[in-house]
Amino acid sequence: MRALVIDDSRAMRRIVSAALEGFGYETRQAGHGQEALDVLQEGYAPDLCTIDWNMPVMDGLQFVSAVRANPAWRALTLMMVTSESEQGQIVRALAAGAHEYVIKPFTADALRDKLALLGMLPEEAVL
Amino acid sequence: MTLAPDAVGRPPQPRPAIPALIDEATVESIAGETWIALVGEDEVLVPIPGDLPEDTLSAWVDVVGPWTGSVVLTTGRQTAADLTRALLGEAAPELLDHEDVADAFGEIANVVGGNVKAAIPGPSTLGLPEVGPAPAVRNPADVCRIEVCWRGQPLVVSVQGALPSLPVPNTQHDNPHQNGASQ
Repeated sequence: MRALVIDDSRAMRRIVSAALEGFGYETRQAGHGQEALDVLQEGYAPDLCTIDWNMPVMDGLQFVSAVRANPAWRALTLMMVTSESEQGQIVRALAAGAHEYVIKPFTADALRDKLALLGMLPEEAVL
Repeated sequence: MTLAPDAVGRPPQPRPAIPALIDEATVESIAGETWIALVGEDEVLVPIPGDLPEDTLSAWVDVVGPWTGSVVLTTGRQTAADLTRALLGEAAPELLDHEDVADAFGEIANVVGGNVKAAIPGPSTLGLPEVGPAPAVRNPADVCRIEVCWRGQPLVVSVQGALPSLPVPNTQHDNPHQNGASQ
């Protein structure tokens, strides 16, 4: 399975990517929403996007809306991974089309649990 | 608590100061959880004050809403580099450059700030992390500050208002309608 990790922090991209690779994902990274859209438009087809909220150029919510507006990306699972933890913002993200919401700071186990709930754990991580 | 003057003469509205919205124990708990989750399971923050070295680095995020200010983390530059290595683990480059440290320390400030924002009345917006010399404290009464140690090195988390203190209204001089009514 493939994942696109979208976060403006290089450190956080490395942390999320390392966790996902530990579960068996192949990952790519993008530093903001527009860069991630460019990656998708180039033809990269991930199963999962993890998305920070606050980023320059295009934020996470704008990215979710842009993905949901394109039927070609309907199968993409979108998971917010962000320090924005107000209830209203969680509701906004889910209403825009995100499937799941992980609040930073998180542990690898918490991320694994959320992926399992979505049925997005690669087989080798389930065993 | 100070009172904000109103340009159209309505009764002044109270502006909340941070000690009325969040306490030191909550800030300490947020910082502690952030350290354990991001920096490492065994990486505890010990609530012992210490003197910051001369060469410090700060990382902060701004919060704009009913309360407006910044969540500022300050520590020694070497400690910020050590934090970066701990955060990145095996992915840390052999030689860290300033961008590596700014990125990692800024992300820690972002996570602490996001959770502080969630703990105070909102809705509020969170800015992008910034790194550099700490922003000045503009109103000493609008600060919630904790001092902790990480691996024996001091670190300060300051939740500080961005607005200066306001003068306490003087009913003899601050009410324009009072003077007008006598003419």
